[in-house]
Amino acid sequence: MKSNDERLYPPLWRRLYSVWYRHMRVYTKNLLSNGLPPFLEPLLFLAGVGLGLSKYITETMDGLKYIEFLGTGLLMTSAMFTASFECTFGTFIRLEFEKVYDGMLAAPITANNLIVGEIIWAGTKGLFFSFAVLCILTVFGIVHLPYSLFVPLIGFITAVMFATLALLITSFVKTINHFNFFFTGLLSPMFFFSGVVFPIGNLPKYIQPFAEVVPLTHSVRLARAVCTCRYNIGLLGDLIYILLFIFIIGLFAVKRLKKRMIN
Amino acid sequence: MSDIVITVNNFNKSFGKLRAVCDLSFEVKADSCFGFLGPNGAGKTTVMKTLYGRCLRDRNADDRVNVFGYDPAENELAIKSLSGVVQQENNLDDELNVIQNLHIYAKFYGLSSKAVKKQIDYLLEFFELGDKAKSRIRELSGGMKRRLVIARALLNNPKLLILDEPTTGLDPQVRHLIWDKLRQLKRQGTTILLTTHYMEEAFQICDEVLIMHQGKKMMHDTPLNLIEKNIESYVLEITGIESLESLEQSGLPGNVRVDKSQQVTRLYSEDTEQLRALANKLEGAQYYLRQANLEDVFLKATGKGLNEKQ
Repeated sequence: MKSNDERLYPPLWRRLYSVWYRHMRVYTKNLLSNGLPPFLEPLLFLAGVGLGLSKYITETMDGLKYIEFLGTGLLMTSAMFTASFECTFGTFIRLEFEKVYDGMLAAPITANNLIVGEIIWAGTKGLFFSFAVLCILTVFGIVHLPYSLFVPLIGFITAVMFATLALLITSFVKTINHFNFFFTGLLSPMFFFSGVVFPIGNLPKYIQPFAEVVPLTHSVRLARAVCTCRYNIGLLGDLIYILLFIFIIGLFAVKRLKKRMIN
Repeated sequence: MSDIVITVNNFNKSFGKLRAVCDLSFEVKADSCFGFLGPNGAGKTTVMKTLYGRCLRDRNADDRVNVFGYDPAENELAIKSLSGVVQQENNLDDELNVIQNLHIYAKFYGLSSKAVKKQIDYLLEFFELGDKAKSRIRELSGGMKRRLVIARALLNNPKLLILDEPTTGLDPQVRHLIWDKLRQLKRQGTTILLTTHYMEEAFQICDEVLIMHQGKKMMHDTPLNLIEKNIESYVLEITGIESLESLEQSGLPGNVRVDKSQQVTRLYSEDTEQLRALANKLEGAQYYLRQANLEDVFLKATGKGLNEKQ
């Protein structure tokens, strides 16, 4: 019976791949409008900071020039935002408005396959977005090849991490407007207080532990280490944090979201 | 034994306090077309969704749901790989064109690219969408979209095709085309399961019809038997109440059944001559003498008034 079943439907990796493939086809359909902004956004950021702000910021931060400090942080925030948008608004629209999942779940994939496929796709977008930022940073000589080439991989796991969080949030959300709380209440504070714009060490002592709890801090630390080739044993802790986060939050997200798809 | 492809015994499903399906049992024979009729909220869609694992039934000791030898609660993948599903809504990807919509779904079935191309060409031809292959979804009419969704459900050459209201909101031409295609598929060995609100559709293409109401099976038989066994052969429909009153005063024969609704009164009888004689006594009232049909049976089984779920 078992071997018979296996011939009936594709193996797990193909089922995940077909979900990923669907998203990739839809995303690349509008290549210009979807593919250009990831390059333009860091360009605007760096232009704004480089032309205006950097003149006033002469101090180094964690031993980096300000533009280097900020640039290496942006590698991760772009991955964070793209995964978060994809798995909140994107997922919710596919689930509730476009009914895309209805169609997909009629094909031989399980709800679990579908949700894990979403996460892998969000990770891929994170990889692409941090790669786009990397291109800009490299062109302007802010980070240097070749070791910085590993940074999109950190972008991938960062996006996977935020995808699990975003999906967990989505599993609770009743109307699409509720996502505003997530973006304004969680992601925006993380952007400012996770060592992207300034070092965590500059935060008041009683706030610093909070910065350690939120996920972005750990991604930024890894990305900066990869770009500057300055490694220390503490980074292992950051990596473990991310992997545990993905595993635990991912488990809850899949479980809760599945209940919304299969009732 | 082998010619039964779906067996459902004592199937129950509740959503919170609401009992969507109560103790439903039925069997579907291979290569037949099995139709579910019922008012909105009767539980038809829930039954469909349960068969391919989209809905989980309440588990009881003596319940059984079996599709091609598999229980959907345990092996949804095997069932889905043997089936095609057309849901109520046209969930196509608007960003992609017709052929791309089919392509992304072909991936789910793990078909080789050569087989995919052949199958897509065949299906576009079969549903008369050949010249629309490169069209964007929003350029398609409602009927084309519906045909495309059905084509998409046939990519894997399914042995079972599940259709939830396949022709709702379509014009008669498209509806007849879809019926023709479904008959053709049935002849080629596809078992078809569908829900519909169109009695004509059930009568035209279904070999067996199950009428549901509030989660329960009300009737189950072939369309012709449903009419023959459950309702008188002829109906006299009379509009206007005054004319009926004069008829009633002069006395109605005992074997004529009267069914009054707000504006229309229906007199049922096995004898057409008897009804014709009654019609002749009507002065100036509008009337219509016709054969009884599935809709009469349906309304008898499920009632004329609306319930809270409709």
